[in-house]
Amino acid sequence: MLGSAQVGAVHFNWQELWQSAIFWNLRAPRILLAVLVGGALSVCGATYQSIFRNPLTDPYVLGISSGASLGAAIAILLGWQAYLWGVGSCALITGLLTILIIYRIASIGNRMHTTTLLLTGVCITFLISAIIAFLMVLNQDKMDSIIFWTMGSFATASWSDVAFVAPIVVVGTAVVLYYSRDLNLLLAGSETAQSLGVEVEKVKRILLIATTLMVAFCVSACGVIGFVGLVVPHCIRLVSGPDNRRVVPLAVLVGGLFLLLCDTLARTVLMPNELPVGSLTSLVGAPLFIYLLYKNKKGF
Amino acid sequence: MIAIEDVSYSYAEKPVLNHLNATIEDGDFYAVMGANGCGKTTLLKLVAGLLKPTQGKVIVDGKEVGKYTARELAQKMALVRQQAQTDFEFSAFETVLMGRNPYQHHLQNESEADKKIVEECMRRTNTWHLREKKPYQMSGGELQRVMMARALAQQTPIVLLDEPISNLDIAHQFEIMDLLRTINREQRKTLLLVIHDLNMAWQYCDQLLLLNEGGICYQGSLKQGLTPERVEHVFGVNSSIAGDHLILSRK
Repeated sequence: MLGSAQVGAVHFNWQELWQSAIFWNLRAPRILLAVLVGGALSVCGATYQSIFRNPLTDPYVLGISSGASLGAAIAILLGWQAYLWGVGSCALITGLLTILIIYRIASIGNRMHTTTLLLTGVCITFLISAIIAFLMVLNQDKMDSIIFWTMGSFATASWSDVAFVAPIVVVGTAVVLYYSRDLNLLLAGSETAQSLGVEVEKVKRILLIATTLMVAFCVSACGVIGFVGLVVPHCIRLVSGPDNRRVVPLAVLVGGLFLLLCDTLARTVLMPNELPVGSLTSLVGAPLFIYLLYKNKKGF
Repeated sequence: MIAIEDVSYSYAEKPVLNHLNATIEDGDFYAVMGANGCGKTTLLKLVAGLLKPTQGKVIVDGKEVGKYTARELAQKMALVRQQAQTDFEFSAFETVLMGRNPYQHHLQNESEADKKIVEECMRRTNTWHLREKKPYQMSGGELQRVMMARALAQQTPIVLLDEPISNLDIAHQFEIMDLLRTINREQRKTLLLVIHDLNMAWQYCDQLLLLNEGGICYQGSLKQGLTPERVEHVFGVNSSIAGDHLILSRK
């Protein structure tokens, strides 16, 4: 974290760093936000993967992130990006609406069916991408900022972003940790979990709400960042095994550091220009993920 | 005691079970039989509380199944499913340890006592040597025995089994059936066993719950119940009895 604070378009030695406004106002909140978001996305990914028993699930596959990005796009078109919380709250509202719609459609009948849920998520992602593309074509002057948002970036990170995201990430992670053994049992299937004493529907609902809140808050603060929630838990499992009591705490740590590394690269590789960190995580994550799939076809 | 009172169940308007009534006493060893698609698995799921009856109720030890918490119910009955799950990489030991979940609180780790119970259950099912193995490193039969061990680790007075021996070779079938008989005789566990093999049921089970066309067509002593007429009516095959064996032949 300290290393990341030192490098950048303006270079400091250690002494200058502690006294500089660039560190306190720009880099410090940016580093904290990257760590928080990386940890949160990884925890959410691990949770979704266990609930849906599908190693390819994460906030993006389920359409929650794109749902939130639709709100952001609308807010930008309405000219609200001047108010930091304007874009954020819009993203939050549409993100929550998306999971509500997905959940409603997928829970027809008494129980949620994984296949329905995943397919609904994928379809909603397509629908929202189409709407966003449509909005961008109609408003070509604002295309840049929308693209920047859908690719994800920490360039505008501030202390208020950190204050916005931190409480939800802490509480959400604590909830997931509390239910981490139930998550293990859910991996064996809903009915098996139920017969082993897990209140399956209740636990799923609590975890989905907690994680969706985390995702929506993260997307609000820094846009859509892909592959973190997919790759980090997967890599951890290769080392630690599938036990969520180990995977979840490690996901906070590894996810946070992974995203911090990506963001540090994003702002230093093409100095003084910046890459959107979302494109960088995809660049790192997608090939790694394909490799993992190829090497380890057994799923969990 | 399990009491099934006027239970009906339909999958999306399609009736599967109609107005079932049955009482299963503690310590009984039941074979649940019937042709394919007659609702045996559905009945087991209703008893296990995995499905809610569209009508009527299932009562276990004086309380309706739906009124128990999942945890309480998991201390009363264990379920061994038809298909062993293979898509996750917990070791056999970790899998059996999950059977101790109903006795643990959140954030509490398994105790040494839990691990002792797991070891004992794995030794009984002849799976202790498999403890480090992942599901994909085991055969179908080995996995099935691991699932049996997990059900035993739940230490429940009732065990529901949905075709636990269908995937096993004949030697392991006898091994599992012997084990079931032992836990029924020694620990007085109530067993509800969905089974297709009439011969196996004939040799091991005491009671019979015979389903036909969505209803119970016989409940009572298995040896008295499996008359040639009934076997022909439900399964469409001829049968005769030779000594301790049931001989089946084509019609």
